[in-house]
Amino acid sequence: MNRRANVLNRVVLTVLGLLLLTAGGLGLAVSVGAFGESRADNPVLPQEVSTFPDGRPWFWWAVAGALLLIAVLALRWLLTQLKTDRTTRLDLTTNARDGYTTLHTSALTNAVEDEALGITGVTNVSASVHERRGKRVFLRVSLAESADVDEVRTRLENEVVTHLREGVTDPRIPVTIELRPGASKAAQRSLT
Amino acid sequence: MTATNWVTRVVSALLALALLLGSLLAVVEIVAAALDRDHVLVSYSEWNDWLRTHSWNDRIVSALLGGLVVLGLLLLLFALRRGKPASLALRSRTDGVDVTASRRSLQKSLAAAAARTTGVIGASASVGRRTARVEARTVSRSQPGIREEVESAVRGRLDSLGTKRRLRTRVAVTTKDTR
Repeated sequence: MNRRANVLNRVVLTVLGLLLLTAGGLGLAVSVGAFGESRADNPVLPQEVSTFPDGRPWFWWAVAGALLLIAVLALRWLLTQLKTDRTTRLDLTTNARDGYTTLHTSALTNAVEDEALGITGVTNVSASVHERRGKRVFLRVSLAESADVDEVRTRLENEVVTHLREGVTDPRIPVTIELRPGASKAAQRSLT
Repeated sequence: MTATNWVTRVVSALLALALLLGSLLAVVEIVAAALDRDHVLVSYSEWNDWLRTHSWNDRIVSALLGGLVVLGLLLLLFALRRGKPASLALRSRTDGVDVTASRRSLQKSLAAAAARTTGVIGASASVGRRTARVEARTVSRSQPGIREEVESAVRGRLDSLGTKRRLRTRVAVTTKDTR
């Protein structure tokens, strides 16, 4: 789950798609004679272009530099696919002079999962903390088919989320709850 | 993550890998040529000769350009298609708390709600951004009002969840041939 990667993928694919479409489209237009029959008969690589690097030793080094830049960008793009915005620590430090306080998110998510599992109708809970333009807590809650969704929501929002916010001493930490009605029958808790 | 995002991510990873390896290979070839070494994998002089001896209206060149256009369109398709949402937003009640319902489990839930209607022996559901479609199977050919009953059950389930955008419901009733 990494929204940044999804946005980046769409932007890069759009740019590359437009580049290929433009290059291929213009090339096809030349080949069918849209820019004149004589141009369609010309070689793909004219003499003046193929001999341009001759006597210009900087040319290939400039190309190599551009290719290295592309390689670095491609590597970063590739690594973005493997990244997740899930975080394992929460910094709760209020005043650095008094010391640093760090909370392992597993302590928080375990407590949240335990509390949410105590709600009637909840069969499975998975909690995680993500770093996405600030911290955000995600709760995936599977419900029995017979669960009273309204009641479950009320208890999740009024009790579980309230306790969670108290736990991290941040009354405004954003929370996303994904309900999964009728997702499973047996009560269980998944570990994250 | 939706199936669309997974496909886009796989395509992106393959494309990034191809760009990375392709550009590194080209750099290696440039360095090899600068050191007066033989080419490693790709012969620059062969490519240069090929491009100088083929004109724009050669069939092979047109085919390659057509391939570029198709590839560009495919990349745009991957980049711009939205696909079905992974989850649907529910009406918010608490400040800073977003509540959603996963689409897959919502489909299961709607199918289960429809299947509980008297006379229905099975049901399947499909949920999109705007519409929930339910197909209910009955044994009897003529059961008056069953479609309305299924629709009411499905509507009730959706209302109990409180989706932010009111979904249209489409119910189709089919009869299972028991002979």
